[in-house]
Amino acid sequence: MMWIFIVSDALTFAAFLIAYGFMRSISPSWPKQTEVFNMVLITFMTFVLISSSAVMAMAVAAARAANPKLALRFLVLTIIGGFIFLGCQALEWSHLIAEGARLTTNPWGVPQFAASFFVITGFHGFHVLSGVTILVIVAIRTAMGKYSADQVENAGLYWHFVDVVWVFVFAFFYLL
Amino acid sequence: MAHEHDEHAITYKTYFITWVWLLVLSSLALGLGYAPINEKLKAFLLVGTTLAKILVIAAVFMHLRYEKLNLVLITFAPLVLAIILFSFTFPETLGTVTHVLHVR
Repeated sequence: MMWIFIVSDALTFAAFLIAYGFMRSISPSWPKQTEVFNMVLITFMTFVLISSSAVMAMAVAAARAANPKLALRFLVLTIIGGFIFLGCQALEWSHLIAEGARLTTNPWGVPQFAASFFVITGFHGFHVLSGVTILVIVAIRTAMGKYSADQVENAGLYWHFVDVVWVFVFAFFYLL
Repeated sequence: MAHEHDEHAITYKTYFITWVWLLVLSSLALGLGYAPINEKLKAFLLVGTTLAKILVIAAVFMHLRYEKLNLVLITFAPLVLAIILFSFTFPETLGTVTHVLHVR
């Protein structure tokens, strides 16, 4: 069931990224992302999400090995990574909003630039927030002894999916 | 399907090595973003790096390398459909910069 959800959600993200590519192709100019965004922050966010994904994989392995204490530790580390990512994203959004970026207008000339930024990163950020919520619930259940390896694995699949989407966003939105 | 890879338990060391590889690939992608090279070549190399990262995450972290072929094919369906959608829409943009959208 989780795989069906992931595939359908991947289609939504694919549509967003292709719409972004289309808008970018029809625009006579496009701002240079490395000059608009704080790339040190974006790189740090990528590092945090990839690291949290690795730790989540270890949580699944610990859960499968019937070691709930270790699984809980890894789950807590993953949750911390999720919160750090969300904090960095809030910081990035507030910087851009302070510079005058809005859904329909921005100081860099092309209206679609800020619109696609807020929609794509906002939709991804909402997924990270949902993932953190799911992980908190799974961690609480693990701490209470109501632990199920399948639950941890499903939460892990969702978290890795969020990581996969960020890999695409990082490459196509921030670097290309 | 979740139980099928129990006998193929991946070690913590494998996850650590995968994490290091993902960081290396991310650094490579970042370097490409700043590299003073042809934009088409940059796009090609970035797509390659991104696909490599996706394959590593799917195979090791999501355990897809131990799943049935049907599930693997279904998982990559969005990517194939995205390529089809892209190939249908992209020719519309060639040489038509007059299509500027004004979001107001």
